[in-house]
Amino acid sequence: MKRDSIPYVVLFTFVVSAVFVTLLALANEGTKPLVEANKAYTAQAAVLDALGIPYADKAEAQRLYAASVTAIEGTNPRAYRATLEGQDYIAVEQTGAGLWGAITIVLAADPAAGRIRGVQLVAQNETPGLGGRIEEAWFLNQFRGEAAADGIRIAVGAESKGTGDRDSDNSLVDGVTGASRTSSSFEVIVNEALKRVRAVAGGAQ
Amino acid sequence: MSQSKTMAILKDNLWTNNPIFIQILGICSTLAVTNNLRNTAIMTIGVALTTAFSSMTLSAMKELIPRKVRMIVQVLVISFYVIIIDILLRAYLPDVSKQLGPYVGLIITNCIIMGRAEAFAPANPPLLSFWDGLTSGFGYMAVLMAIAFVRELLGFGTLFGLRVMPEGFVPWTIMIMAPSAFFLVALVMWWAKNMQAKGQAKPAAPSAAQPAKA
Repeated sequence: MKRDSIPYVVLFTFVVSAVFVTLLALANEGTKPLVEANKAYTAQAAVLDALGIPYADKAEAQRLYAASVTAIEGTNPRAYRATLEGQDYIAVEQTGAGLWGAITIVLAADPAAGRIRGVQLVAQNETPGLGGRIEEAWFLNQFRGEAAADGIRIAVGAESKGTGDRDSDNSLVDGVTGASRTSSSFEVIVNEALKRVRAVAGGAQ
Repeated sequence: MSQSKTMAILKDNLWTNNPIFIQILGICSTLAVTNNLRNTAIMTIGVALTTAFSSMTLSAMKELIPRKVRMIVQVLVISFYVIIIDILLRAYLPDVSKQLGPYVGLIITNCIIMGRAEAFAPANPPLLSFWDGLTSGFGYMAVLMAIAFVRELLGFGTLFGLRVMPEGFVPWTIMIMAPSAFFLVALVMWWAKNMQAKGQAKPAAPSAAQPAKA
């Protein structure tokens, strides 16, 4: 068959596509359990981080998660219940719009949402180096123990020092310098999550 | 594969025909990923490996590929390797995969890969094509790492995430944003072309240098 004849071209394209796609499908199937396990671990780790439970490795994270956290049946997006040092906490997953794409966080608080236990970032697509800095520890750690009875506020512009607000009673945290839009979106997402904590505590799904 | 030829390819791809400052390929990713060294390193390794393996595969298949559909086949092979990299990262290096996010998929949009697949692989044996792809990736890596070094140092005051600048250092926010990469790429091009022009001027006869003035 000639290399440029139509039947050869069609046959060749078909065979080549079939071979490569089959290889990809095999690779995808072969690594599926691993990818699923990684996903499950990421979700558990985010809840533990939000609750402020330290863990050293994957095995310890799984053990601690099993010991202290229970997923609440039927909640969507997922919500969790945990008891630490005799105090009940509720953790919720919350997704909202960022500047470029969705931002997903896990927020843990007491059932009345009077004080935030912690916030952990699960996924974001903000500008690397600007809005992307919301995943940095100095930013997220500001939420630890922050009073939130009337929601929280994230300082932007001149009000923000950009280095982190250490007062945990003023319901105010510093935004990221150069990323006011992302910071404001984050504020909305955190406040929505706080509302949901109260709703879940009241029995909502 | 003769040694002189492999060395010639290496020199070509790293310097005389560098993909960034001579061929001006792969500029989009130069702007996007170079604000920190870690992402740049991973991205450029990904591009180098993809270019190497896709060039090798296409070179091995070159007798079988009909001219009419060669670009379709090139894209198929390149995307195959990019998806394989993505799958492997997700399974074995989930942290890196999460950090890179959309960047892995963007490897495929890098013009260097298709450039080598189209310009080198169809006329050369597989191993030499692999070497050509790899060194093209290195040429790309060298320039991007240099740019990322400056951008991360001035933009964050860190290198590979480790603080190196003194406490009082005020980060240059512009360095984190894409425009600074434009300035830096232009500076690299300016410097490299100047160096190359000097290198050519020395051995050449005066008459050969004359037309450049026009």
